[in-house]
Amino acid sequence: MNLFKIIYSGKDQYLDLAESMVKKIIEEKGRDAQVKFPSTAYSLPVIYAITGEKISTTGELEKALELAKEFIHEGNRLQDALDAGTASAMLAEIIEAVKYTMEEEPYKAPLQGHLTDAQIRAFGVPLVTQDIPGVAVIIGKCKDSETAAEIIKDYQAKGLLTFMVGEVIDQAIEQNVKMGIDLRVIPLGYEIESVIHVVSVAIRASLIFGAVEPGDFEAHKKYTKDRVKAFVNVFDDWDDKIIAAGAAAIELGFPAVTETFINEVPTLLLHQPNNEKVVETSLEVRNIKIKVTKIDIPVGVASAFEGERIRKND
Amino acid sequence: MSHEVLEFDGISTGLLEKGKADGAETIWDRQAAMKAKCGFGDKGICCRICAMGPCRISPVEGKGAQRGLCGATADTIVARNFARMVCGGASAHSDHARDIAHVMHIANKEGNYKVKDVGKLMNLAKEWGVNTDDREPNDIAHEIAEIALNEFGKPFGVQRLLVRAPEQRQKIWKDLKIEPRAIDREIATLMHSTHIGCASDAESILDLCMRTSLADGWGGSWIGTELSDIMFGVPTARGTEANLGVIEENMVNIMVHGHDPSFSEMVVLAAEDPELLALAKEMGAAGINLVGMCCTGNEVTMRHGVKIAGNFYQQELAIMTGAMEAVMVDVQCIFPALAKLADVYHTQFISTSPKAKMEGSIYIEFEEDHALDICKKIVRGAVENFKNRDKEKVMIPEAKNSAVVGYSVETVIQHLDKVVNSQTDVFNTVKPLSDVIWAGVLRGAVGIVGCNNPQVEHDKSHITIMKELIKNDIIVVTTGCAAQAAAKAGLMTMEAKELCGRGLKEVCERVGIPPILHMGSCVDISRILDIVSRVAIERGLDNSDLPVTGVAPEWMSEKAVSIGTYVVSSGINTYLGVTPQVTGSEYFVDLLTNKLEEKVGAKFIFEEDPVECARLMMEDIEAKRDKLGI
Ligand code: SF4
Ligand code: SF4
Repeated sequence: MNLFKIIYSGKDQYLDLAESMVKKIIEEKGRDAQVKFPSTAYSLPVIYAITGEKISTTGELEKALELAKEFIHEGNRLQDALDAGTASAMLAEIIEAVKYTMEEEPYKAPLQGHLTDAQIRAFGVPLVTQDIPGVAVIIGKCKDSETAAEIIKDYQAKGLLTFMVGEVIDQAIEQNVKMGIDLRVIPLGYEIESVIHVVSVAIRASLIFGAVEPGDFEAHKKYTKDRVKAFVNVFDDWDDKIIAAGAAAIELGFPAVTETFINEVPTLLLHQPNNEKVVETSLEVRNIKIKVTKIDIPVGVASAFEGERIRKND
Repeated sequence: MSHEVLEFDGISTGLLEKGKADGAETIWDRQAAMKAKCGFGDKGICCRICAMGPCRISPVEGKGAQRGLCGATADTIVARNFARMVCGGASAHSDHARDIAHVMHIANKEGNYKVKDVGKLMNLAKEWGVNTDDREPNDIAHEIAEIALNEFGKPFGVQRLLVRAPEQRQKIWKDLKIEPRAIDREIATLMHSTHIGCASDAESILDLCMRTSLADGWGGSWIGTELSDIMFGVPTARGTEANLGVIEENMVNIMVHGHDPSFSEMVVLAAEDPELLALAKEMGAAGINLVGMCCTGNEVTMRHGVKIAGNFYQQELAIMTGAMEAVMVDVQCIFPALAKLADVYHTQFISTSPKAKMEGSIYIEFEEDHALDICKKIVRGAVENFKNRDKEKVMIPEAKNSAVVGYSVETVIQHLDKVVNSQTDVFNTVKPLSDVIWAGVLRGAVGIVGCNNPQVEHDKSHITIMKELIKNDIIVVTTGCAAQAAAKAGLMTMEAKELCGRGLKEVCERVGIPPILHMGSCVDISRILDIVSRVAIERGLDNSDLPVTGVAPEWMSEKAVSIGTYVVSSGINTYLGVTPQVTGSEYFVDLLTNKLEEKVGAKFIFEEDPVECARLMMEDIEAKRDKLGI
């Protein structure tokens, strides 16, 4: 298994899709149609943070593609692979931006899709002060709905913010898991590209609360790594696109844990086939320390959470 | 005086100018006096192993003498010369190990030598089937020591430590009939085979070389390391400083040079003796500054953080600072020239081993039974010598760098444990290392070992290759004078991660290590064999499958020849930055650099240009990765 090749293949798929979607939207709407996500001052936030460039028209999406391509160089060093992850994130954002340009409301309730600046501000401070102790991003489909609900509720009870991408959303609905930003359980969308909306949350945290300059990608990476305690859980089989997105997450300092075997990278990419251990594995790998006492939801008392060391051999 | 070889080393030039004024003679003067090298010797086609000779073979095929008087061809002569270098190297390492085993055999509660790492002793006892129930560690140690000593001359069986190799590797050795039996036996047998009128088939001589070298790597050297750790402690990560700048103007400077830790460990104790410290103060010095050189320097820096004055080529320079009260030596890699050089200054040059009495030295025999007393006596002499220092002649270069050293396999694994997730993995394995290699975060690993050699610019090849590799996400483990070059260059600091590619940088940050790991002295190359084999076993593979190589960029000694040969025989491609004296036989060169691969899955590569050498190694590593599909 050549991990980098998997990432490059996933990146290629984003690239193909993004290019065809940009082409299509220009054909349909011309070059001057406005491109933006609802209620954000940061244009396409991921691209803005990474490059400092604001993309505001369909025509400029071509420039956005070029900006993403600057991160594409398929070498065999880790930086090459992580850059492919960054490119994938930028391409996913382009894909999502096109969706929002095509339609007024590409995501319908309960799906969240893009989060507005105001929504982020609502939980942003506790997020970066780690009063919300972490952010779980669940991708894929659990082996059954009960398992999905158990894991989500476990994160919820621990005060984490949980984002969902893929069929796990239906599993949560089936189990009557209460969802919503206030409840800290947020279904993003079914397609992997929608994961960019949580990346956007992290990066806007850096822009808003960290006051990191747009275009200073190194500083953004440092901020997200140090301040946004996010991690990714992938259930069921992963595909190349998920792994490419995982590379983007890793570049921001967010580790990923997969249910299906993948070549592990200690502290960054872990294989945890045992669903019962996935929560503990994730908290440990992201170094999230939570008071053992579980608390009732809705979780208004997260700031009471205090550190406790989890690692066994410390 | 020509010393272009020093161009890379900015600090030595001034010292050499001063030395000239002092009337000191150095290796570079002698090199100049040597003029052009003898082409026959350089190509390995001069034979003087019987009194019919010396014979020399014409380097031009079909022209001039094609055979020695006995009929030996260039192929035979080259192979025999090479073999005897292997013997020299294997014997040096093994005799070193034997001494440590003897020291272990006299370990007792009251004496100078006691077992320090009971855990490692117990592990070895278990491996060797030694009863440990209700026994005192020193008692167990005596039995272990005896078993170890028997490894040198046991009449039957093969080396015990071979079982630490991957099974596939053990099978290759068995099938080729190169499993080393008793250490001394292999050396003696190879000396026998290379006597006049014995083996003349070059390929079979090379097979015997492999067997003898394996008796070194998987016998003598490994036993030396294992028993040194038991007796003197397993090295752990610690800070130190390196380069001539560690010599202190206001202190009594004592340099310990050579190889054997049973000697240097006692020197360390002696230099800490309160009475001698008080005496130093009385003499007007601020204290006693013990510094190390070459492998003994490595041993004491790994275990005690003793500062490193320098590597092989700097041994004269250290004395030429004029601030060295005493140089205490035991065995191996000590220039006989030091005696004459010490006379130019107030330096006491003290040899201690009956195996290495040095002409013109003060000889104080080191006897294990009262080791500490003898070392104290020498240190006392050095302290008293402080008053004789000629201040006019003192010039200490300011250069030194900090370094983190002490990466035994145990310490590496302990660091790897930091990145183990307790929910997904177990502790105390090399899996994290194998994982990052498999993922491509690290492309591979390279062991950089060996000496300095005035044929090439000092340290330049070491440093150039190291920097190239770490920049490209290849982790470097190093021993010997190569390690000291890295320490001097500041490559063994945590900050050196900034010189690395992203992958290695992440690993350094997360594991908390420098990108270049000091694994010890030359016998400690067994640690490298150990860690490579552990990774291979972890993956169910042979060493030759792994994306790893070895390189000796500036090698010079016979020990290095033995090392290179056992590394290749262990399945690891080995790059040599100095071409060995074998080029007089195309056939033998082809064996070393080509045919060996069919036999043991690895070969030698000669490449004197360090940049090209690094490039070839990276290509090699990527090819191994492609083969593994990673
Ligand atoms: S062994 Fe043969 S080649 Fe060597 S010196 Fe004697 S006669 Fe000459
Ligand atoms: S590396 Fe070479 S010069 Fe240095 S101590 Fe070892 S054998 Fe001697």
